[in-house]
Amino acid sequence: MTAATPPHLPRARLIAVGGGKGGVGKTFLSANLAHTLVSAGYKVVAVDTDIEGPNLHTWLGVNSPRTSLADFVSGRENKVEALLQETPYSGLGLLAATHGDLAAAQPNAARRAELLSALRELPCDFVFVDCGAGAHPATIDYFLVGDEGLLVLHPEPTSVENTYTFIRAAFYRRMQLAMRKHDVRECVREAMDQRNDRGIRSPLDLLRAVEEMDPEEGQRFSKTMQAFRPRVIVNEVASTEDIKLGFSVRSVCRKYFGIEVDYAGYVNRDQAVRTAVLKRKPLAEVHPGSDAAVYLQRIAGKLAEAASKAGPSR
Amino acid sequence: MKTLSEMTHYEMLEIPAGSPLAEIERAYRVVQSSWATDGLATYSLYDEHEAEAVRERIELAYRVLSEAETKEEYDRRLEPSESEMDLEEIDLDLQFVDETVAATSIDLLPTEIEAFEDAADEGTDAEWTGSRLRRARLRRGIDLEKIAEVTKINPTYLQFIEQDQFEDLPAAVYVRGFVVSFTRCIGLESTQVADSYMARYREQTLESRRLMERRLRR
Repeated sequence: MTAATPPHLPRARLIAVGGGKGGVGKTFLSANLAHTLVSAGYKVVAVDTDIEGPNLHTWLGVNSPRTSLADFVSGRENKVEALLQETPYSGLGLLAATHGDLAAAQPNAARRAELLSALRELPCDFVFVDCGAGAHPATIDYFLVGDEGLLVLHPEPTSVENTYTFIRAAFYRRMQLAMRKHDVRECVREAMDQRNDRGIRSPLDLLRAVEEMDPEEGQRFSKTMQAFRPRVIVNEVASTEDIKLGFSVRSVCRKYFGIEVDYAGYVNRDQAVRTAVLKRKPLAEVHPGSDAAVYLQRIAGKLAEAASKAGPSR
Repeated sequence: MKTLSEMTHYEMLEIPAGSPLAEIERAYRVVQSSWATDGLATYSLYDEHEAEAVRERIELAYRVLSEAETKEEYDRRLEPSESEMDLEEIDLDLQFVDETVAATSIDLLPTEIEAFEDAADEGTDAEWTGSRLRRARLRRGIDLEKIAEVTKINPTYLQFIEQDQFEDLPAAVYVRGFVVSFTRCIGLESTQVADSYMARYREQTLESRRLMERRLRR
């Protein structure tokens, strides 16, 4: 990171952090990658979309946010910029989600689209969107619109299982959105259900079915597949075996989904992380030299590099 | 996207067609461990029966590609049909926002894993050798070239530092400056590292000078 150059990006780069299971470290990574990039000189906004269990603000030392996403959803405020909170860290803004009227809190699809395009217009370099747990359609949509989609997983079967559930849901949703013809769209939607009547059991079956229905849509399908490139981060690794999980998941996704998944990095299991959250501060504020802080820097460095390569054409 | 039976042996091992033998060994080890029996990575996506079919294909690919003779024959057969993937710009149609493509690879390198096992040694007072510096650098995922760019030190010298090639390095005062910039660049406590590194540098250059003088006297 120290070797990176932190000039300002022409447009905010949206980084969505998701990954199925709760408690694997999505919020930890959102908050701390955001903070790490701020330390390197970038301007960053962290957004909490986990309306049912928000705590991004806690990691960033903001005790009780005065404004929140709920104000945008309810229409009390239409300018996203006006909802940003300052954090104790210069250059790092927060759009919090707070406990409120839960029923009213989840935005409908149109409002969500407005929110997402507003986030891209924010005057900063990176926007981190903490997606929350589960594979709910709203969560998936937040994940899909990111310029980068980071999937956080733990080296344990429950997390691996939920990660695949998440990738599967995101994959089918992505493909459905890419299709233009109504009947093809329907086919993709039905294929999401693994026990569908069309006999489609895998992404490959689906591709073949789409190709048969309409060759042009088939081409679009495989091109969209190539562009669908989630990044995996393995959190709380304790052994070399755990680290290798990232490579293995990559291999399995290639063969099962036919998609490329990048292994963006790992963070070790580190007591320093616990002491930092108890202090309600980003890790690097409390233990800048800890191993976990070093690994975070490495991942942040890669994100910065990918952003600079993406260039100003966007 | 292809079925198991449609994939080439190279695709099974996830390497470009025509990769050399050494690359095949390395790739096979990675893929084999990914698909190991009861492995974590296949959990919930493949049942044992399906995973076994993939393992058999991996073994077959390895058997063919790991022998120079069979590989050569296979490569000959493969040649005409093998074409580069179509990577042209993709026209996306997301309803809610305009889409951009995350096509840049930010994949980890295998060397970055090896460095993990040595992670624990950074906090200790053990002496700083070139290879320890190298591991510290790899853990942070920073290229030598990048360090050269930032510090304006000739990358060859940086390499010599990591390889403890003292005889090819300039005078001590310069080397110390290099080590300080290098370590600062990867975020280490530079004075402490430089002291430790230079102690070994002096010891060994002194040693070789003595040897040289002795030889000259003879």
